[in-house]
Amino acid sequence: MKKVLLGFALSFLTIVSVLAQSKTITGRVTSSEEPEGVPGASVVVKGTTQGTVTDLDGSYSISVPADANVLVFSFVGYLTKEVNIGSSTTINVQLDPDVKLLSEIVVTGYGTQERRDITGSVASINNTAIENLVAPSFDSQLAGRAAGVSVTVPNGILGSRPIIRIRGVNSLSGGADPLIVIDGVPVVDSDRSGAVASNPLANINPADIESYEVLKDGSATAIYGSRAANGVILITTKRGKTGKAQVSYNTSFGVNEAVNRFDLLTGDEWVVIANEKRANVNASALANPGVNTDWQDAVLRSGNTQQHNLSISGGTESTKYFFSLGFTDQESVVKSNDLKRYAFRSNIDHSISKKLRIGKSLSYAYTEITGLNNGANSLSGAIYNATRALPNVPIYDPENTAFNGFNITANGATTGFGANLAGPDNNIPNIAYVLANNYYRGRNHRILGNAYVELDLAKGLTARTQIGIDLTLADDFTTLSPKHGDGRSSNGSVTMAFNPATRWNWQNTLNYQTILAENHNINVTAGVEYQYTNFYNFSASGTDFSDEFFRLRNLISNSYNNQFSGGGFSEQGFDSYFARFNYSFKGKYLLSFAVRNDGISQLATENRRGTFPGGSIGWRVSDESFFNSSLISDFKVRASYAEVGNVSLPGGSFPYAGGFGPVQAAAGAGIGYTNVANVALQWETSKKFNVGLDMTIGKVTVSADYFKNNVDGIVLNAPTAPSLGVPGNTISQNVGAMFNQGVELRALANVINNGKFSWNTDFNFTWIQNEVTNLVQPLTGTFNRTEVGGPIAQLYGFKWAGVNPANGNAMYYSGDNIVQLVGAATWRAFDPANPAVTTTPGTAPTQFFLGNTLPKYQGGWSNSFTYGNFDAEIFVRYSGGNYIMNESLRGLMGLGFSNNHREILSRWTESGQVTDVPRLYAGRDANTWQTSASNSRFIEKGDFVRVQNIVVGYRIPAATLNNAFNGAIRSARFFAQVQNPLIFTKYSGIDPESNQYSGQLNFGVDWNVAPIIRTWSVGLNVGF
Amino acid sequence: MVALAMVGFTSSCDVTDLQPANIIPDAEAFADANRVNAAVLGIYESAQRGFYLGAVQRGYPFGAASTQQGDMRGEDMYNDQLFYEITYINGFNPQTANNNGQWISLYRMINRANIVIENLDGAVSRGAITQAVRDQFMGEALFLRALAHHELVIYFSRPYSDNPSAPGIPYRTFAINDVSKVGPGEAVGRGTVQSVYDQLLADLNQAETLLGNGTSPFRANKGTAIALKARVFLHMKRWSDVITEYNKITSRYAVTANPLAPFRSGGTSSDNVFSFQNTQASNPGVNGALANMYGNPNLGARGLVKISPLIWRATWWHPEDTRRSVRGATDGFVSQGPLGIFTNKYTDAVTFSDPSIIIRFSEIVLAAAEANARLGNTQAAVTLLNSVRSRALPATVPAYTVADFANADALIDAIIRETRIEFLAEGRRFPNIHRLSGEGRMTGIPAKATSRSITGLNFYTTNVNIPTDHSLPYTSHLFIWPIPLEEILTNASAPIEQNPGY
Repeated sequence: MKKVLLGFALSFLTIVSVLAQSKTITGRVTSSEEPEGVPGASVVVKGTTQGTVTDLDGSYSISVPADANVLVFSFVGYLTKEVNIGSSTTINVQLDPDVKLLSEIVVTGYGTQERRDITGSVASINNTAIENLVAPSFDSQLAGRAAGVSVTVPNGILGSRPIIRIRGVNSLSGGADPLIVIDGVPVVDSDRSGAVASNPLANINPADIESYEVLKDGSATAIYGSRAANGVILITTKRGKTGKAQVSYNTSFGVNEAVNRFDLLTGDEWVVIANEKRANVNASALANPGVNTDWQDAVLRSGNTQQHNLSISGGTESTKYFFSLGFTDQESVVKSNDLKRYAFRSNIDHSISKKLRIGKSLSYAYTEITGLNNGANSLSGAIYNATRALPNVPIYDPENTAFNGFNITANGATTGFGANLAGPDNNIPNIAYVLANNYYRGRNHRILGNAYVELDLAKGLTARTQIGIDLTLADDFTTLSPKHGDGRSSNGSVTMAFNPATRWNWQNTLNYQTILAENHNINVTAGVEYQYTNFYNFSASGTDFSDEFFRLRNLISNSYNNQFSGGGFSEQGFDSYFARFNYSFKGKYLLSFAVRNDGISQLATENRRGTFPGGSIGWRVSDESFFNSSLISDFKVRASYAEVGNVSLPGGSFPYAGGFGPVQAAAGAGIGYTNVANVALQWETSKKFNVGLDMTIGKVTVSADYFKNNVDGIVLNAPTAPSLGVPGNTISQNVGAMFNQGVELRALANVINNGKFSWNTDFNFTWIQNEVTNLVQPLTGTFNRTEVGGPIAQLYGFKWAGVNPANGNAMYYSGDNIVQLVGAATWRAFDPANPAVTTTPGTAPTQFFLGNTLPKYQGGWSNSFTYGNFDAEIFVRYSGGNYIMNESLRGLMGLGFSNNHREILSRWTESGQVTDVPRLYAGRDANTWQTSASNSRFIEKGDFVRVQNIVVGYRIPAATLNNAFNGAIRSARFFAQVQNPLIFTKYSGIDPESNQYSGQLNFGVDWNVAPIIRTWSVGLNVGF
Repeated sequence: MVALAMVGFTSSCDVTDLQPANIIPDAEAFADANRVNAAVLGIYESAQRGFYLGAVQRGYPFGAASTQQGDMRGEDMYNDQLFYEITYINGFNPQTANNNGQWISLYRMINRANIVIENLDGAVSRGAITQAVRDQFMGEALFLRALAHHELVIYFSRPYSDNPSAPGIPYRTFAINDVSKVGPGEAVGRGTVQSVYDQLLADLNQAETLLGNGTSPFRANKGTAIALKARVFLHMKRWSDVITEYNKITSRYAVTANPLAPFRSGGTSSDNVFSFQNTQASNPGVNGALANMYGNPNLGARGLVKISPLIWRATWWHPEDTRRSVRGATDGFVSQGPLGIFTNKYTDAVTFSDPSIIIRFSEIVLAAAEANARLGNTQAAVTLLNSVRSRALPATVPAYTVADFANADALIDAIIRETRIEFLAEGRRFPNIHRLSGEGRMTGIPAKATSRSITGLNFYTTNVNIPTDHSLPYTSHLFIWPIPLEEILTNASAPIEQNPGY
């Protein structure tokens, strides 16, 4: 952005008049970023309009009056510096970068605004700190980079989407993800694969991105009307700049590894435990000593990653271009899970005349993701299976040629028994065979593009029309082995599907900017927008194959006995009118007002149109004459309010429509009642209030915001009593309400800058409180309950009361009383005075609220350093105040014939023993661990501090490069980085951000997800 | 000006007036005969494929899962895996999935039936269907509604045979297809067991009059309604009514000479009164397929449930009974593997097309036998018993005579044992435990082979001790299932009462 402004600065400063002189001063302006000179910087004699600008190598020459005392050096992006002239005739100045960002241009949706004039709450995230990192998609790297923006990566599967929440969770049953807008076009944000997790944002090459703007409060988002309630992320891709073509090539190579593994029993340990479980119910021993196998070896690996990005950009005054090619190949820590992306982009801007401009952005990406079954409760789910497989049997059996040397029973039903007399519970298959023979693939061609024409109709008045497209061509392929695993029951299966999504978007805007009577700055934008999106899909599958040979590559006609097909179609549209009015008086009093009217196809005709207004005001106190502080150089207060909407409603494209859907009965295709009509259905309303301040105190820039977001008319799939037989036992109604309120803080500073060494720090903190204020009934899932008066998705379930030391019985609270489990299903009262008594009748355990799952506070802290040609960044993220249900651990404390967590070794074995693992009775999981809901025995705090990234780089000195390559190489930087190197937490599971659920009502459950990834990589940035 | 022109130009672009492609609006669903028939098929579909944890799969309320609930609550089939363990060990509570799945999916089926029932007369008056077609459809819907409620009243209420004034289960006779119906729907309480039986008999009587004389076991017809009535009367201890209903259908159905016939050739033998059909294209999936859940892993199935060695080794099961014939070169009733003995009644473990058998004529024959025995008609009872039993035994084994039984009770016991053998792995065990415990003939659920303890064939073929557990006295609150917590929590105006003890 700095360089773009150079042009403006140059043209502005050339009109500064030059008066009579009596002394000439020369010198050079440099900075740590531009040690070879800062071109275009202004040099002005303080208190006068006398000045000049530096030339291309940063040098200047200025004549000053004899009485001049001070020279003022300034340039966009740097702190202004004043230097006493004294008697010197040579003044060299090093400018310090201005990290407070107050003078940046900020993209605001259908326009831009200067950061200093913004009165809403907008966070800008520059891509430079992020773009060299190894990640399947850019979104995961936004975590911790801005206050109020929460991003968590809930598992280690490449392609699964991070959970993005802006200022908390703002919907219950509807979508809670922010609107994503790329170069002005809202993009399709839906996973179009049925075979693998396929984050739609993984189709976008992170290296093409220039910057992110996160619109957080009502005023900033109001221009997006009915889609604004969850916040908006505006993404701007790189564009060409005037100048010689610049070629850059960035690459990195690295390794992915799991941050941790489950701590499981060895084969020998397990034999003891397994037989003890059975002996305690008078059942015969089944386990016999064998080998010691860690089945996690069958599913986890260290994966290789590489990234290559090549771009060319440049241009003349009239035509600017940016082209890029990108390739990445990443292997997850879970076998079979890979992501490859080939990306191409071309962005071109051209001025036909001074008044007419055209341009376009076009990107094409091909993404291929291979995945696996990692169902938390699926017999072939990789983590579920590997942590339960019997550790005293081997993975391989070279003599078992019928199954390619895997250890599998002759009938193919389950893993070989080894020395045991029985196979694993639920006949789980040999996961190594499954991963080697079952194949899941999602392929995706994504074209994102837009073209615009911009015409200056009069001075300050510009019309613009822009057509955008977003085309996703996604296809799936899944093939399952007939011999073993998920495909065995159908004697092999192949499923293929084509799941495209197409969107077009047409925007027409008028923008008028003027300055009235010198001090009144007015900027008005008005426009109309149409958007149409079509999702359709069809699939075909075959089962019962004549021969495995035919199942491997594609559906092959006539190779299977049973054939199936399916398909679906839905569409959505918006037509919208919007306007925004920005006003500032002397840059001191600021006002912004925006309104949008949306027509929404998802709603019944009667309720289709909604109007969403928002506004904000700001006051730059530091510009007032009474404000005179040498410490505080900038001080602005602002406030905003808006009513915006959310139309990401539960129930698909036509949630209001009642009627009968198709059902396939054995006797023929029939229809079944599918949805209860509710034509009164409307968007969810968010009333967003925000007050904030921006302040620069010495070297420290601080932003603080308080917000409150009242969400009303939440569309609930309001549960109905199941005995009513209503489809899904829910009716969509606008009945819920809740609020999120919070505080955001950001502080950044250039702590040290002594020329050679500089240290910048940037810290953010967010505290959020969520409370549901209206519901029809509590919303209950297996683990969570959402109830009026509390936050969304609290853990709800049974309260553990420990192990009875007298007999090893598991104990829980039943109301205020403690009861113990006697036998498989009988509850008896527990008397601490007489713990051995097990005959007093007791009632079954009851359920309690056991903790909130949404973090109460979170944030990030980035520190970047440069020392000569070395640079480094260490980025830390933290979060806390939430609780996690460690369902993985509960499963691994199972009492069946399957492997366990080592924690089971502390089971009760003798009278008087104090432990928290009860006596082991085979088969009594359900009551011992109260598996039907959350259990406080397995609930832990989720607080953590994570070192997210450490990056170290070295820039080869320009002179060295020049000597070595004779100018062919402009710049070169080597770097080494580690992502996710360490975490400080008391959570005992693999990672406190592990989460089986990414929706709102079920949350905070760590349940057999793939381990989160740590990445080590080295790379190179070269400029030609 | 330019702005106006732009607006004018673009307003021709209508992108918001869109209509769904996959939902026929309420008002158009009964517009013609084809759609009315489709809506009736929709009731069957909801019975056949069911609903489990929010998804349509698993075989509730009348697929594999429900059969297994009936077996797993009893002692004749043995649980070898986690899938049905909660049911097997009486570990259910108001949140556990299996019992809740049964409740939710049955009421889903009932509402589909009620929607059809309410719309048929309108379809006649619009000329979409004839009166005759309407009567057949109405009869089917009423039959299905009664069948669903009987299933509910057995699992969620105390037996009629004990106390007809105990709390029943909500029996709604109107559709919930509009927000305005939710309130009246919530207001329908549990009533009494008596009121539930009254209403379901009223439904069945009406169905009997309306239904035609079709013979397909996959659509309800007159004989189907009569057979279900016989079952219902047996639960009500209305013995002579059982016999009356039995007599009405003796000309329609017959016990097959080959006891395996009802399970082969698509299940359309003379013994098959009513089944829910499954096909390659329409079935509740691998986890809702009887062949996969009950079948031998050596035959491609998953083998989650075996025949219990308790019944297999019972002295009263004649060793030459063909219903314990082992599949080998020829077909057989069971299949044997190193891990134990599995039923072989269901065989399609690849496309999951075994029908879910709901009523076989043999059941009504044995019901009539029991009713006769109860009424002291011992000769008639023995004759009926023999008609089922002798066909499964070689000619060398003599048929029973009245003299074989010391008294009527001994005869009744023999009939009940015969029912256990004949309907092994068909989900009928718990309904019988329910009614027999209610009248005091049984004391509750007998001891079962300890869950996951029967690990090899030797438990069947030798005298090795069979560990037992999981018995449940009739007096325990666990004898009947809890009302789902969700049902009580989500009824905003008139939550029904929970069963005591939960």
